[in-house]
Amino acid sequence: MDHGAYIDAAASTLGLNLTQEQRSGVTLYFGLAASMAELVNGLPLDAADESGNVFVPVPPLAAEAAE
Amino acid sequence: MSTHAHTPATATAASVRDGSASAMGVVQQCLDRIAVTDGRVNAFTSVLTERALKRAKAIDAHPRRARMKLAGVPFAVKNLFDVAGLPTLAGSKIERDAAPAARDAVLVRRLEAEGAVLVGALNMDEYAYGFSTENTHYGATHNPHDLSRISGGSSGGSAAAVAAGQVPITLGSDTNGSIRVPASLCGVFGLKPTFGRLPRTGSYPFVASLDHLGPFARSVADLALAYDLMQGPDRHDPACAQRDIEPVSDLLGRGAAGLRVAVLGGWFREMALAEALAATDAVAQALGTTRLVELPEVARARAAAFLVTCGEGGALHLDDLKKRAQDFDPMTRDRFLANALVPAAWVVQAQRVRHWFARRVARIFETVDVLIAPATPCTAPAIGTEWLDIYGKRLPARASMGLLTQPISCIGLPVVSVPLWGMNPQEPHLPIGVQLISAPWREDHGLRVAAQLEAMGLCSAPVASFARAL
Repeated sequence: MDHGAYIDAAASTLGLNLTQEQRSGVTLYFGLAASMAELVNGLPLDAADESGNVFVPVPPLAAEAAE
Repeated sequence: MSTHAHTPATATAASVRDGSASAMGVVQQCLDRIAVTDGRVNAFTSVLTERALKRAKAIDAHPRRARMKLAGVPFAVKNLFDVAGLPTLAGSKIERDAAPAARDAVLVRRLEAEGAVLVGALNMDEYAYGFSTENTHYGATHNPHDLSRISGGSSGGSAAAVAAGQVPITLGSDTNGSIRVPASLCGVFGLKPTFGRLPRTGSYPFVASLDHLGPFARSVADLALAYDLMQGPDRHDPACAQRDIEPVSDLLGRGAAGLRVAVLGGWFREMALAEALAATDAVAQALGTTRLVELPEVARARAAAFLVTCGEGGALHLDDLKKRAQDFDPMTRDRFLANALVPAAWVVQAQRVRHWFARRVARIFETVDVLIAPATPCTAPAIGTEWLDIYGKRLPARASMGLLTQPISCIGLPVVSVPLWGMNPQEPHLPIGVQLISAPWREDHGLRVAAQLEAMGLCSAPVASFARAL
């Protein structure tokens, strides 16, 4: 799959000015990431399969102590 | 030559405690060893001579000296740990411009509170993104057992310094395998604890969702002692679990008795070359197990770790990628740039797959205590190696060093990497590591098995002889 148009648009949006030299490497590694995305997207999950990342609210005392 | 740098940390500390050795003498020997060997190894990026000698002098005069568990023991840390007065380089050129750290990292402080003496900071892949420590800014760290080969990474300096007999204990970090890979290739013991066990406060992050810190050593007792002394919560690391200290050192003598052990099949054998399989099978035979267990969807789990790394690692460095991409190491730059572009949907899906995988693996640990798998697909490749052939598949050599570690750190399991020797008859001088993987918070299981394998003589971490010095 050609990711060139996405790479150019995303880089521009983020303010990354890719040189020609960098662009060939970026294309290679973005393609590798895309192949990994195919793998994770290929696992059937339902809405209850949430991320394992859990935000822990910070109570006032701990927040004060952390400052 | 027998020096304190060749002696286990536990024995050195005992000598300093009882006064038969001085911390000053031990540290001076250590500094001398570094001076003699590091021109060939390149493990250190900073040697803290003045600080270390001052600290050693203070230990010798310390009123608690006779009770300090690491009295006078030199150690060194990967240069992503804060060291007061030094910029925290994290293997980069960019961070040379950062303000010096105001204080030491929490784990450095915890070891020094027990009498250990920090002697330096160690080389690594830039921003911990690599498995070879072929750092363009600071040079490659050479494998002490064969100087033409890589040390592994990203904690390459940490493993090499221990293998070279420069220090008995070092600290490193492991996001996708960066403790276990260099431990395997340099022939030392390494511990990646459970995710959230040891606080990362005062260390430069790579991927907050996956970053672990842990020790390297040349004996299981040293590894366990360093680990024990670093345990305990810290409120400044939001990922650090609020768990009590669970010491393991006193449990090592139990060995593998009563533990259910199995070998990991599937991916973990398909991605391992002959020497890695031989090492794994030798450990299985020594432990008397023939049981084979397969984890589900390992390739997808590895992909999940890969994408979480992309998303968080790319975002962390976005500002510098925009302003000064040319200052990144060419070994990492294009990967960080590509990572900054990865869509959020891929990263979120990766986090969901990660949790799915963790829940399936937890079921497997209901019937087993320790899983065995190779730590790396092969022994250390030559410096500069670009490609690896794994059963007809041509894979990038550097990234492939993490094929067997990445699915495990993805779900934060504790792992001890133990070194074996002579598994490749063509290269008998090269070590290779085997992972002893336990359920979350059961570091004791892996360390007990490691202690038994060490006692049996199957695993060991001898100081490099430099017989093959270039």
